[in-house]
Amino acid sequence: MKDELFTMMGEMPAMSPELLARMREDANRNFLRMKHWSEMVMNPKEPAVGPTPRQLIYRTNKSRLWRYESRRTVRTPLLFVPNLGISRPYIFDLMPKGSFIEHMTAQGFDFFLVDWGVFGEEDNGLTVEDAVTKILPRLARKAVEASGASEMSVLGYCMGAPLSACFVTTHPEFPLKNYVDMAGPIDFAHVGLFGKWLDAKVFDVDKYVDTLGSIPAEMVKMGFKLLKPTMDLNTNLNLWWNLWNPEYVNGFNALNKWANEYLPFPGEFFRHWVKDFYQQNRLIKGELTMAGRRVDLREIRCPVLAVGAKEDNIAPPACVKPLIDVVSTRDKEYVELPGGHISLIAGRGASVHCWPKVASWLAARS
Amino acid sequence: MADNTSQQLLDMWKRQVEEGTQAWLRMMGQGPAAAAPAMDPQAFWRPFMDQGMAAWSKVMTQGSAPSPDLMAQWKQFLDQWIAAWSRVLEQAMGTDTFAQLMGKQLEGFLNVSAPAKKAAEQQIDASLAGLGLPSRAQVVALARHLAQVEEKIDGLEDKLDRAVRRLNDGGGRPERA
Repeated sequence: MKDELFTMMGEMPAMSPELLARMREDANRNFLRMKHWSEMVMNPKEPAVGPTPRQLIYRTNKSRLWRYESRRTVRTPLLFVPNLGISRPYIFDLMPKGSFIEHMTAQGFDFFLVDWGVFGEEDNGLTVEDAVTKILPRLARKAVEASGASEMSVLGYCMGAPLSACFVTTHPEFPLKNYVDMAGPIDFAHVGLFGKWLDAKVFDVDKYVDTLGSIPAEMVKMGFKLLKPTMDLNTNLNLWWNLWNPEYVNGFNALNKWANEYLPFPGEFFRHWVKDFYQQNRLIKGELTMAGRRVDLREIRCPVLAVGAKEDNIAPPACVKPLIDVVSTRDKEYVELPGGHISLIAGRGASVHCWPKVASWLAARS
Repeated sequence: MADNTSQQLLDMWKRQVEEGTQAWLRMMGQGPAAAAPAMDPQAFWRPFMDQGMAAWSKVMTQGSAPSPDLMAQWKQFLDQWIAAWSRVLEQAMGTDTFAQLMGKQLEGFLNVSAPAKKAAEQQIDASLAGLGLPSRAQVVALARHLAQVEEKIDGLEDKLDRAVRRLNDGGGRPERA
């Protein structure tokens, strides 16, 4: 075997200049990989996130309403409603040139962000109904007042979509101009693995909430990690491969910081969220009642855009698209874009596919 | 010889992957013995298996100098390997058996953690009481009370806003606050 190897080496062709140059480049990249890796390990820096300047408009309990600086050339302002719990909202303004909010404000949108905040044990009594009929209306009203506009578009992302849909249908006084559902589940019969795992036959949510009080961040993290067990392996492999590139490393640090900051769920909120939405699918059936008003998605009469992500395993396209079938408007569109639940709205792919689509759709109707 | 060695290694690895997949599927109740139709494990591995085999054979037989291409191919190979595992796991985790298993695991955890949590809380409360300090439950109750007060103030502010708006909109009796 040894002899054969030596024979093979003897037969190796002389290296071409191109090959030599590429090998030199590869050696250089390996050096940079080692350098960046040692910096990450020996001298880790806290990544700067949320670069777009903003102003606090209103706060109630843990929740905040933020307004982002922009030229405000688009007439109708935008209220962005993300998920409650799970993760922090700075993913939408992660870093310069990698921020949905930066993109929208650069397009001239007067951008308002609902930051639900981090709920503690004292908020375990907060329900979905409280979020929809107490917190959200107040923040939405403050956004309308601060903007001085007569109408406002609403964009719900992830859980923010069903929450904001409940809000706009039960608050007809809110001057809704356009509604966008971005990766937000509406028909929970098609919600994928979470739907299976949270099924009433296998998941006793009452026992869970009664025992733990709230749903700790570690539990939330475990659930999401389990959804894609190879995610960490894939992330680390890609990091190693791109470790020579300082831009990639910066992006990785920011995203990694966000991806490891999970937030807890208030107990009662989780109970209602799982029972009403995942287990009984009451939103699409029109069986929900909040503050004495029925949540009827047919009450959405403004232009509607629903955006699904092809690889989304948290809110698969099949559970997003049904919104289009139930709303009462002819100006409605469903688009399915490349990416997963997060990469739909954050990252390079999002800046190419999702952001321009959402911005142009809204601008044409604002 | 190089050809034989690489072929043997790949065959062995392929066998291991297939056996591992079958074992996993059996565990998840989707193996050949189960009533549900069995998945074709080859379907997961075939794309990257073929590519891996081609890359391996090339390195072992051509005798060419190692090039950066090899690294890129290796990375692609790993990506496909991870993607294949991801698909296998996703299918396995989408089964009723897995959901039931997970539900039982969680229930077991709750059965153990509930009494442990209660005992720990009682002990901590007793220690804090001994030191003349408020318990966690008391601090939480105070925070909840503050949140309720804030909510009431916000509610009053809402009503006041509405009343002022009505007055500005041309009179009318303000709503009772």
